[in-house]
Amino acid sequence: MSQSESQMERLDTADMVDVVDPEAVLGKSPTQLALGRFRRDKLSMVSFVVVAVYTIGALLAPLLVKIGFLKPELQHQNLLNVSLGSIPKTHFGGASWSHPLGVVPGTGVDVMSRLWYGITFSLTIALAASLVAIVIGTVLGIVSGFAGGIVDAVIGRLVDLTLSFPQTLMLLALSSAGVVACAKFLPGSASDPLANGFYEVLVLGLFGWPPITRLIRGQVLTIREREFVEAARLFGASKGRIYFKEILPNLWAPVLVSFTLTMPAYISAEAALSYLGVGIHPPTPTLGNVLTDSINYSVADFSYFFYPALLIAIVVVSFNLLGDGLRDALDPKADR
Amino acid sequence: MASYRKKALALVAAASMATALAACGSGGGSSNSGTKAGATGGTLTYYIKAALEHTDPQRTYVGRDITDWSRTVYRQLVTFPVSDDPTTATTPVPDLATNTGTSSDSAKTWQFTIRPGVTWQDGKAITCADFKYGASRPFATDVVTGGPNYILTYLDIPIDSKTGLPIYTGPYKSSAAGTAAFNKAITCAGNTITYHFKKSWPDFPLAIAALHMMDPYRQDKDQGDKSNYQIFSNGPYELQGTWDKETGGTFVRNPNYKASSDTTGSRKALPNKIIFNIGKTSETIADQLIADSGPDKAAVTGQSIPPSYYSQITGSVASRAASVVSPYTDYAVINFKRITNVKVREAIAASTNDTGWVTAGGGAKSFKEAHDIVNPAVKGYQPDLYPAGAGDPAKSKQLLQEAGVKTPYPLTFTYPSSDTMDKQAAALKQGWEAGGFKVTLEGVADQDTYYTNIQAPAQKDDVIWAGWGADWPSAITVTAPLFDSRPNLTPSSNGQDYGGYKSSAFNALVDQAQGSSDLDAQTKYLQQADQVLAKDVAYVPLDTQIFYMLRGSDVTGYKTDAASNSYPDLGVIGVK
Repeated sequence: MSQSESQMERLDTADMVDVVDPEAVLGKSPTQLALGRFRRDKLSMVSFVVVAVYTIGALLAPLLVKIGFLKPELQHQNLLNVSLGSIPKTHFGGASWSHPLGVVPGTGVDVMSRLWYGITFSLTIALAASLVAIVIGTVLGIVSGFAGGIVDAVIGRLVDLTLSFPQTLMLLALSSAGVVACAKFLPGSASDPLANGFYEVLVLGLFGWPPITRLIRGQVLTIREREFVEAARLFGASKGRIYFKEILPNLWAPVLVSFTLTMPAYISAEAALSYLGVGIHPPTPTLGNVLTDSINYSVADFSYFFYPALLIAIVVVSFNLLGDGLRDALDPKADR
Repeated sequence: MASYRKKALALVAAASMATALAACGSGGGSSNSGTKAGATGGTLTYYIKAALEHTDPQRTYVGRDITDWSRTVYRQLVTFPVSDDPTTATTPVPDLATNTGTSSDSAKTWQFTIRPGVTWQDGKAITCADFKYGASRPFATDVVTGGPNYILTYLDIPIDSKTGLPIYTGPYKSSAAGTAAFNKAITCAGNTITYHFKKSWPDFPLAIAALHMMDPYRQDKDQGDKSNYQIFSNGPYELQGTWDKETGGTFVRNPNYKASSDTTGSRKALPNKIIFNIGKTSETIADQLIADSGPDKAAVTGQSIPPSYYSQITGSVASRAASVVSPYTDYAVINFKRITNVKVREAIAASTNDTGWVTAGGGAKSFKEAHDIVNPAVKGYQPDLYPAGAGDPAKSKQLLQEAGVKTPYPLTFTYPSSDTMDKQAAALKQGWEAGGFKVTLEGVADQDTYYTNIQAPAQKDDVIWAGWGADWPSAITVTAPLFDSRPNLTPSSNGQDYGGYKSSAFNALVDQAQGSSDLDAQTKYLQQADQVLAKDVAYVPLDTQIFYMLRGSDVTGYKTDAASNSYPDLGVIGVK
């Protein structure tokens, strides 16, 4: 009348077919499980280390500039050959012990200092723009997914409208007026890094939220039917409480993944916009404006062109791999 | 020559738009010095980056276009001949006139006789009435815009007190009194044309050889602004079809041009066809001319090689590159509203790192350090006015101390931003900061409004970048228009006197120069005036631009000279 023990055992193991060691799963939160999966993925760990190194470097750079280890504006024009268009006199971009990555043609500023300090500005811009996009995207996504009806329709059309906007064109066309407008609310003038950076962050962020809204809305549609949300509603919780106390904590995984995937997009956007003359201008370095200047020298002084391109490529690839790894770890059911 | 303004902006735009990875330059293997005079025939291509704003003679004000048109389609009363000697090349020779003009009444009246047998491209003779009509067009200041307007201030026509302009308002619409005054100011007697001026104009022949403002113009061809891109020739070439603003135009031989009517010896007109190709970037042009294949073998350009290409100019490519000092000077003006203490201004001049500025701009092949705002090729140049060099920070600090100001003294520097200019400004900043200043750089990204902004009387920058080229080779077209406060300073604009400089001593010397009836006396006064500017530190000269241009291997007789504003001289260039 009852099943045999051996049959019971078979059923149990069949239920837990993807767990190697059932003991290991016991008492672990989903976060710990995800972290475990992430740690086992070598590529993700490598990219995490690279991103961590960039971040620590970016945090240290202002300090190193202050103590004089990095000199992103000090010129050494005596290292340049004035009869060949002021490119460095020696090979590999004028590399030496004091300037391991060489010097900038024209000014003779240390390339390593400019790139290192440039990472700080590039990452700051990408981070700020990502935060703007994520905050707007998440809030609108929750509201849209939970409220439904007319609100959902309006936000949906707003997403369509923003996506169909010629973003780059607008960024360029409005750049000088936009920067001047930003400068009015900020200390300093329109040629300061602050006003230019602020404008760049604002526009990148304001055009970057639609994909995030769509993603979050999809997640919210499944969450809002869950019992704890029903319960909160029955208890008479306010909308604000339901949005931010009940639903939001369940969204941190897609938000984190979106964040690690918008960061590299904005790092390369910063470089592209520098090329078009938008964003922070020299003498303040960013990876983008150093690369833009170096493109002119891709033949005459290849190493000057090589280093910024390499640094941008590494950080963009690492962030992307990190984002992929996080997604795999947090959502193991997704196909690889 | 040219209002430097346009050219400066074009340069800057180029730098900011810098594109394109360099293609691999093949040496090509052809070897040709390009200096021996060539035979007639072939097609020459002339690469230009940015669209021309006008081809109308009275509206042409860019040095390159002035010389191109002089040699091909627009003959002048007198012109500058092709010559390696700068003095000869800037001494007018008779062209459509039989001599270089006779003056009387202390150079207030000038008379020219028109050469018999000179014709337009439709075979009709060029008459005195055509010259008079041409001279009338700049007065239509609402239609014929963009060109030089010296004639408005010189020609003996009363000024309308309401507008501040002459009562004659051009051939399209003018009061009867205005027309009558104009008819009195320029008179025709048979083939002789006489100009009556309000004040002495001893260098009038220089002015009309250097500009096209007094060129003849056929009244029946004039459609006002619609004629902006019309070219009705009287020179050895004529336009085939129409001029396209974006892509240029093609010139073919003008069958009605008789070489016998031209004694200048400066219009050999060797190529059968000249194609003006507009729209390629400086980088692309350099790539193509380095590669030297196909039609690029018979090509010249008005664009300098970008500094990042200098290392590719070696071997046979180097033999196709020429480097000449241009007539254009860049300088920094000091804002007199902001920096009133002369010791502080002296400190700025003392700590200006001119060597760094030149190095950051690409070095010896891009710029030459400047000692005077007046170009070395212009009468009145003084080589010892400013020391140039890398600057003297110690002296600057001492001057600031004598001035009794708090150091570091805050200073802002404004300039049109570009990759190159940003570096040059950084070099100046480093020099000034070593000299006791705290510098803020204000790079202006919007090139189109740069000059409008710095002309505003309320503008707040301490030091202002600007550029200038003499309109004709006399200092009277340099320091006088740039620093005479009377025509420049108005409540709404600082005019060309960007720093708001005002000096009665300077103005008096300009008056004496303008009142002189002979060129040497005028030059002497202008040099004294320039010394006043240097004593007051009204400006700090930065550089004289160098033109470093490539050409194709089939180009013969290549020449750039003072007469051609240092651009390729189409009067003698041919193709193999």
